[in-house]
Amino acid sequence: MAAVSVTELVAPPTEEPRTVVSTLMENRNFLIGAAIFLALVVIALVGGLLLGPGPLRSGALKPKLAPGFDVALWLGSTTLGQSVFAQILQAIPGSCLVGLLAALIGTSVGALIGLASGYFGGKVDAVLRVLVDVFLSVPSLLFLILIASLLRGVGVPLLAIIIGLFAWAWPARAVRSQVLTLKERPFVSVAQLSGMSGLEIVWNELLPLLLPWLGANFVNAFIAAVLAESGLSILGLGPQRDMTLGMMIYWSLNYSAVLQNLWWWWLPPVLLLIIFFMALYLIHIGLDEVSNPRLRQSG
Amino acid sequence: MSGYLRYLGGRLVIFVVTVFISITVVFVIPRLVPGDPLGAISIKLSQVGGNLGSRALIDEYMHRFGLDKSVPEQYLAYLGQLAQGDLGYSISNFPTRVQDMLASALPWTIGLLTVTTLLSWLLGSLIGALSGWSGGRSRPLQVLVPVALVLYTTPYYILAIILVFLLAYLWPIFPLSGAYTVGLRPDLSPGFILDVLRHGILPALSIILVSLGWWFLSMRSLIITLKGEDYMLWAEAEGLPPPKIFWAYAFRNALLPQVTGLALSLGNIVAGALITETIFGYPGIGFLVYTAIKGLDFPVIQGCILLVILSVATANLLLDLAYPLIDPRIRFGAAGR
Repeated sequence: MAAVSVTELVAPPTEEPRTVVSTLMENRNFLIGAAIFLALVVIALVGGLLLGPGPLRSGALKPKLAPGFDVALWLGSTTLGQSVFAQILQAIPGSCLVGLLAALIGTSVGALIGLASGYFGGKVDAVLRVLVDVFLSVPSLLFLILIASLLRGVGVPLLAIIIGLFAWAWPARAVRSQVLTLKERPFVSVAQLSGMSGLEIVWNELLPLLLPWLGANFVNAFIAAVLAESGLSILGLGPQRDMTLGMMIYWSLNYSAVLQNLWWWWLPPVLLLIIFFMALYLIHIGLDEVSNPRLRQSG
Repeated sequence: MSGYLRYLGGRLVIFVVTVFISITVVFVIPRLVPGDPLGAISIKLSQVGGNLGSRALIDEYMHRFGLDKSVPEQYLAYLGQLAQGDLGYSISNFPTRVQDMLASALPWTIGLLTVTTLLSWLLGSLIGALSGWSGGRSRPLQVLVPVALVLYTTPYYILAIILVFLLAYLWPIFPLSGAYTVGLRPDLSPGFILDVLRHGILPALSIILVSLGWWFLSMRSLIITLKGEDYMLWAEAEGLPPPKIFWAYAFRNALLPQVTGLALSLGNIVAGALITETIFGYPGIGFLVYTAIKGLDFPVIQGCILLVILSVATANLLLDLAYPLIDPRIRFGAAGR
């Protein structure tokens, strides 16, 4: 212990941001996942712009056409004569928007609550802890079903917000326990002695250390939100007027595409969801390995 | 022992608060929605009642649901009914009570989920342990890793759709939907039981395959971690036969976290596969929720949600109480949790 100098002890244990990024860039899981994910999103956005909203209209094509050479017909058409390919191009950004918004809300609300609960302790902590426990011991899909079945015809943004409001409990608990260990470290006492206020310490000293972990949690919340959205959609509670991968599955099941052998309708969203989850999961493993060095050696 | 009692008290408080908050939220949310508090009900009623005395019917409903009283009075009445296990009437099947519908759906869900959870746990843990143990030596067991990853990241219901297509449509060896052939009278005859099994295979398969992936991966990584422990090296140095080391040293020690996981997922059984049941038309709680959503049958939706929340909260409580008894490493210091 004597070998550790005082300056070393009081310096916050930050890794240089550059090293975090470069470790991430060397991580195979992260790279593969990110590449697949970005490719899907870029193709969907560019393709959607090029194709325009025309083929999305019902009756734009003949109904139940098998895949053909025309771009709008690459994946055939639905029972209502919409282009499945055009729907896919819309559905990918739609599902991403749900994931992005919900994960953003869940992670940031969770981080704030966890920071407050862990740093300030006392009564605030006691109340917040019970609240977190309550939220964790209740399956949130059920409350989502309750809310969505009352607010019929929600759009993508509102649905994402509702899902996000049920996604803060895990990050809150994890951030709280991290803060509890971090705040006993010498660099926090030094910050206190040098006159920083509680908020400044939380914001300038603690938050940066939690960022890599929050990143991994963000991806996790993203996956959970897309999962929740597609589940709600299949139950008939999704954004009826927007297009997401879940809504595509809902419509195809609604017109019993599986039993009419319209595989070009139900299969693409099903496969895309699987690929989507795989890519996100790989990103998550990668981030986890970078933010948790103990995993790095084994991998 | 006083440590355990304090822990027990803490968990009980959380349980009571959880149940109370959930019950209250289920009461409050419908009344927060703009317009009529139970607007869905009157919409449905005007569809059902048509113009034939629908006004009187609505008044009767308003009275039955206590909507002609003030909100605090409604809340008290609601709590009182819940305490007696009374969940009110279904709208779509009017004279039927919600608790009776739940009671007839629950056995299907519990049966399907208990069998699949146990089976996938057993299979996944065994194969995972073997795969982790053999390391790079056995090729087939290594190929299983990416397969398990794909299965684990696939949602149940996605796999369900694919299975319906492959095994009920393309190669129709299993029935498309339902839990038994329509027209058969549920009894304990061998014919009926076989029919139920045949109908249960596809839903069961979709659940087993997905959760198998998870049990496989977690067991595998547990065994790999354990292989590096000192006592394993010791056992090898002692010259114990490898099968004995595997079963008595590696498998046995990896079992505890796996058992915890199993207990956790058994707790979630009622909530387990709502959407899978929908896809297979399997008459459990999930399918009940789905039909209730389609029919705007709000009391049934509410009843299902209350049931699932109560059962999950109870299961979590039981697990929390039993956990210290299963895992002797847990101590109740002054800090608690």
